[in-house]
Amino acid sequence: MEQHLLSGSPKSAVVALSLITNPFTSHQTLSSLLDVLILNLQDQKFDHPNKILSLLAAISHQRPQLSSRIVSAVQKFFFVPSVPIPSFPCALSLLLNTDHSNTIGSGPFYDESLFLSLCFWPCVKTRRWVAKNVGAFLGVRPSVLLTVLLGITKDPYPCVREAALDGLVSLSNRVAVDDKSLTECCYFRATELLFDAQKSVRRSAVRAVCEWGQLLVALNEEKCKRDWSDAVFLQICLMARDMDMNIRVSAFDALGKIQMVSEDLLMQCLSRKALESTKEKNYPGHYTVKLLRIPASAAAFTFVHGLQDEFHEVRRSACCALQMLMAFSSEFTGEAVHVLMDILNDDSLVVRLQALETLHHISLCGQLKVEESHLHMFFGSLMDGSPMIRSASRKAIQSIKLPKLKMFRLCIDALVKNLELYPLDEADVFSVLYKIGRIHGKYVASIVQEVFQELEPSFDGNLGFHNTRTAVLLVLAISAPVSFDREICSIPPQVFSYAVTMLGRISSSLVDLFDQNTLLNYLSHCSKFTAVSASEFFKGELLDSQPKNSNIHLGKMSDWIFNGCSDNLIGLKKFTTPFQHHSNSVDAATSYTQVIFQQVRDLWPMIQLGYMNEVILTLRNWKHELKRLNNDVHQSTAILVFSMNYLSVIKLYGKTWAHYLSLGNLQFNGMGILEALLQKTERRLEEILCRFLGLSREEELHILELTLVTYTLRLSSGATCCFNACMNELKSVISRVERLHRERSIELSDFIIELQNALCEIDNSEDDATDRLYLFQKSLYLFSPKHIVLSGEIKYMSADVNIFDNSFENPIPFVTGLPVGVSLEITLYNISSEARLWLTIALTEKSTQFIFLDFHEFEGCNEVRKFPFVAPFYRTPKVKYFSIKISVAIECLSEVQRLRHKNGPKHEVVQLCEEKEVHLSLA
Amino acid sequence: MAIECLILGAGQEVGKSCVVVTINGRRIMFDCGMHMGYLDHRRYPDFSLISESGDFNGSLACIIITHFHLDHIGALPYFTEVCGYNGPIYMTYPTKALAPLMLEDYRKVMVDRRGEEEQFSSDHIGKCMNKVIAVDLKQTIQVDEDLQIRAYYAGHVLGAAMFYAKVRDAALVYTGDYNMTPDRHLGAAQIERLQLDLVITESTYATTYRESKYIREREFLKAVHNCVGGGGKVLIPTFALGRAQELCMLLDDYWERMNLKVPIYFSAGLTVQANMYYKILINWTSQKVKDTYTTRNAFDFRNVCSFDRSLINAPGPCVLFATPGMISGGFSLEVFKQWAPCGGNLVMLPGYCVAGTIGHKLMSAKVPAKINIDRDTQIDVRCQIHQLSFSPHTDAKGIMDLIKFLSPKHVILVHGEKPKMAILREKIQFELGIQCYDPANNETLCISSTMYIKASASDAFLQSSLCPNFTFLKLNSGLDSDLGDSNTRMEPMLRVCDDRVAQGLLTLQKNQNPRVVNQNELMTTLEVKTHEIKFAHCCPVCFAHSETTDMDSSHSPLNKSSFLLHLLYVKLSREFSELSIQDCHHHIQIKSFIISLCSKEQCSHRTTVGPGALDAPYFCCTWFLEDEKIAWKVISFMKNLDLSHS
Repeated sequence: MEQHLLSGSPKSAVVALSLITNPFTSHQTLSSLLDVLILNLQDQKFDHPNKILSLLAAISHQRPQLSSRIVSAVQKFFFVPSVPIPSFPCALSLLLNTDHSNTIGSGPFYDESLFLSLCFWPCVKTRRWVAKNVGAFLGVRPSVLLTVLLGITKDPYPCVREAALDGLVSLSNRVAVDDKSLTECCYFRATELLFDAQKSVRRSAVRAVCEWGQLLVALNEEKCKRDWSDAVFLQICLMARDMDMNIRVSAFDALGKIQMVSEDLLMQCLSRKALESTKEKNYPGHYTVKLLRIPASAAAFTFVHGLQDEFHEVRRSACCALQMLMAFSSEFTGEAVHVLMDILNDDSLVVRLQALETLHHISLCGQLKVEESHLHMFFGSLMDGSPMIRSASRKAIQSIKLPKLKMFRLCIDALVKNLELYPLDEADVFSVLYKIGRIHGKYVASIVQEVFQELEPSFDGNLGFHNTRTAVLLVLAISAPVSFDREICSIPPQVFSYAVTMLGRISSSLVDLFDQNTLLNYLSHCSKFTAVSASEFFKGELLDSQPKNSNIHLGKMSDWIFNGCSDNLIGLKKFTTPFQHHSNSVDAATSYTQVIFQQVRDLWPMIQLGYMNEVILTLRNWKHELKRLNNDVHQSTAILVFSMNYLSVIKLYGKTWAHYLSLGNLQFNGMGILEALLQKTERRLEEILCRFLGLSREEELHILELTLVTYTLRLSSGATCCFNACMNELKSVISRVERLHRERSIELSDFIIELQNALCEIDNSEDDATDRLYLFQKSLYLFSPKHIVLSGEIKYMSADVNIFDNSFENPIPFVTGLPVGVSLEITLYNISSEARLWLTIALTEKSTQFIFLDFHEFEGCNEVRKFPFVAPFYRTPKVKYFSIKISVAIECLSEVQRLRHKNGPKHEVVQLCEEKEVHLSLA
Repeated sequence: MAIECLILGAGQEVGKSCVVVTINGRRIMFDCGMHMGYLDHRRYPDFSLISESGDFNGSLACIIITHFHLDHIGALPYFTEVCGYNGPIYMTYPTKALAPLMLEDYRKVMVDRRGEEEQFSSDHIGKCMNKVIAVDLKQTIQVDEDLQIRAYYAGHVLGAAMFYAKVRDAALVYTGDYNMTPDRHLGAAQIERLQLDLVITESTYATTYRESKYIREREFLKAVHNCVGGGGKVLIPTFALGRAQELCMLLDDYWERMNLKVPIYFSAGLTVQANMYYKILINWTSQKVKDTYTTRNAFDFRNVCSFDRSLINAPGPCVLFATPGMISGGFSLEVFKQWAPCGGNLVMLPGYCVAGTIGHKLMSAKVPAKINIDRDTQIDVRCQIHQLSFSPHTDAKGIMDLIKFLSPKHVILVHGEKPKMAILREKIQFELGIQCYDPANNETLCISSTMYIKASASDAFLQSSLCPNFTFLKLNSGLDSDLGDSNTRMEPMLRVCDDRVAQGLLTLQKNQNPRVVNQNELMTTLEVKTHEIKFAHCCPVCFAHSETTDMDSSHSPLNKSSFLLHLLYVKLSREFSELSIQDCHHHIQIKSFIISLCSKEQCSHRTTVGPGALDAPYFCCTWFLEDEKIAWKVISFMKNLDLSHS
């Protein structure tokens, strides 16, 4: 059949192509087709090599495994004497597109005569192909490549000229030319083509001028390098006024690449008239087609034209070029800043963003000199509707140095306004405030002095946290002691203690500079000094601005705080910051959780005082941090989950406590919420006890103690309606605690001892409820959480339930009244063989069906066990459609029997995984 | 052939643009404007110069209108309806849509308010517009079999265009008014590189170099904001179309950003209607407007409301856009009269005011000043005057850039002030090396134009043209001078040339079309034979005796000659080892230089009869001109051969 295919009719090629492109064509068929094609290719009489070559290209594209055969066939093809030259490009591109690594050192791309004959072939297409793919001719001498390409730039066909210029550009990076006259010739030929009638040629010429100009500069002697570079720059400047947008973009792109330009010329680019310094200067190059001398004044206004171009692409490119060229002259930079500030009024977002980035770049180099006339525009961008612009403008602002207090004030006002309009920017705004505050210590000091009254808490004792301005001023104030100004800054120490109240907010925004502890230490330290001594001690050096060094400096500072001033800082203990740890250690999670656990203890007084917002914020930060760790390290998941659960318990405690406090003596007010919170807390604690294996006695005791606290809270608030039931539960926990105490002789806390006493007293007395409440409250006040240390390796029990092929659109069919089987895949993690597992299938909140999971019969170890399971659901309702929720639960064996399920668990169950919804519909 | 330009208006002045160009026998009138500064016969171009008989239809091929400003179109209804021109008129679609509004407005002002004699009626305007053929950008219109015209985007105002016209081989561009930098609502002029004999360009700002538009915008906004911030009223007299929209876009954006609540008014009628046209003709506006069009039409101003006459004296600040632009009358004059005496108010003057208008007087006035509105009315001007530097015209840099880009052979400047035009003219001639003229009104200018001759090409020439055929020319400067040197070398040492065309020869034979042939074909084409110049010299060569004696005894004469030649060959190859010398038995050949033994007794090429010449063999040498140097070198060697051996 294949023989027929190439019998010559035009249809045959189409048939062959369809065979090739069809993915179901067998390998054998293709292979024999390939044989025929190759045979025909070598056949001298065959006069359609292009057709065959294109088919071969299709095969090699579709089946890369055949390409090696194709390549070798095509390589032989070049030695067939009668091959017409026009077929070569086709064959060569076939080789180019397939991997021809085996042809290195030989082959058609190393054949100089082939290259030359292709170049001088009368066909335009061939020439264009060669010029475009000139880079592929690895074996041809660079001088030959260059000479021929240079000659082809004279071609009457624009597409060939364009390809030749592109070829020159690609060669400029790859060949080392040391012939100055040849380089010069290439450069001048390219400049000539800048005046071509065809857009595409001009565009390629711009690139070629840029590349070859730089080669030319490199080849010149040291003393005339600058002049040549100027000449190239000027030549490209002319193209910035071309009528075609793309050419203008390329021109500015090219300007940005120039390595060396004299200041005069740069200044001329921003001036609308010829400057004195450049008036008489001329440079070689094409001014018009005929004039071979470019006056330096031709560069006038280049950048301004670019920046006010109609197309934002050009404006952006001009902005980028400005940024690159600013390295050459500070005077130029100063002028360019004026222009850039005006660009901030541009209507295109991209351009404004680029302008701000350029400004940021300048300010990083310390060259940004802001004048008052700029401020309106510059600070105006802080109020921009686009978050990107605001962020970019803050970035630019954070490192500027403002010469006047008035300007600094405007800056702060703008930042306040930014924050008021866009509260989400808070973290970034704070960080900017801190950074600019550090640069302008003197101004900060004077501003804070003026507005100190504003910062003072009002007489009802409330700090205006909600007030954006207060927050801004506080952040600003705390930056002053670490200011670069050596002058003494006198920030009232109270301000630092006020700032502590916003610790979470501030530390989260300054996360690249400090961690929270360092910040807290710093703040508490500063708040304890008189103004003068604080600044004397810090001398503006301890907290350096460089983020990368900040840890070292902060370390120093905290060392200093702990060693030198330990008298003043009783109560603050030294510990390593988490950040120093988790860089390389696997135990990062463990150590970090230890730190957190310790801090939880320190948090307790705040909870007791009811500063819940701060507590919640801190907890949230810690959780956030834990989550981040979770991504990094997999081994320590259990510890992390434990810590997360622990933190949520603490959070619940905080909330409960707050409610408890707010209740006062009104016992029957708002009980609902407290009850709900208590229940939730109990549930969580139970879960912790139940789901974590390998908890040490101390840890268990700790959790139990917390459980006791919930019961006590419930009892002391009078929140429970069934006092006796609650008392029973309390007693059972107490007995558990006592057992632990006996077994391991662990010391009991004051709270538990007091509670035991209280229970005894209640049992012995017959007093009324108020008295009991008092007893419980008394013990409660003795409670403070201990620092738990996770000792051994803990494991976390969990499960996974997978239901295949089920969704709302794709339900499982059922028949009403008959049981239905749901196929599941269950994965159990860290479940010991003693555990009693239940599959819970809930139809509604109330009706839950339990199925005992006898997982022992399935393979797998305790760590991971994965097995399929068909769960029968019996009580199918009389509806067309319903959904059930499936989950795996574990029975807490240590608990008292509470549940009375008919065929279900006798103890409390804890769910091991999220409930999965299963959709069923009438068959 | 020549292009003949008759400047009927805007020659060394601004106003009544009208240029009649004759290219290869076709006459085109570019623009037909009126002068706003005059009320007598000077307001219209002197049409009688086109045709004394008044047969305009026969003498003009077409009229091309670049845009709808009155100084470019104002005289059109008069010319068509009163003077009786019936030929085709070309303008862009927006111009066709907006021109009748402008004309009608002007007619109303002139006739209804000033009570002047009517130059043309509404009916005339309508009839005139019926003759108009609308064109699109870059659409090539074949006016007649020779004349082609094409419009290019010019910026300036909505619908403004530059026109390219070509009759056979001569081509020109008439720019009309244009702007090379974009503004908020219109783009920059755009044209492609063309082969041009002539560019007729406006030169309103022949010597002005304008600042960046960002600075203009900032200053404008600052001035307006300060005035309304102080409770003042701002009057912005503008043309209905163009500046009004641009400034309004600017203000609208600014109002939005600064959250200002001060009302911005558009005086009723024309301006509101004009906004509608802008909304429709989005395609003619700037890139930015086009880009944002999908989400929001930039001409739907959010803070603009229309004005009511009763609001003139309403308390509180406001911004008012009113027509006409130069406070030459109409509503802007009315408001000006009311607001000018108050010091807190502000009048924004447009960048350019025609001499004779109130605007022009205000530009030079120092506040407080007394301004004469007309013969009887004098106004005490106390308000602030701020001159807008916004202008839809290109500046000197833009004109230079356009001319440099187009690189025509000649440039004519119109639409400008005489002294400034002269400066620009010099600059163009000096910097760009292009012939430039600035003719006055009613002058006629003749410039030479291109004419192409059609020539057929021979097959051999075509064949040879298909392949690249480049050579490299080395510049013989000798010095490898660098930029630092005093005589700076501006050209590269090495240049590449393609000889394809150079190797063709243009032949022109009697009664035949010109023909390009290849060099090789020339002889056959001309049916002539090749003549060659050949040099010859015959000289004796004295061999040493030892060398010749062996030969004397043993060889026949034939052998003798070849022996001598061989002897010579050996000696020559020893001496000139660098040359490729061939021994061809009967002669020795070095390139075209041939040496053979001369057997003639009286050879005509013999010049010397030296001592001992009699027995020495003579050698005849021939060569072509190109090898002359080698020839004489070898000959002198041959002559001195014996000396070297003695």
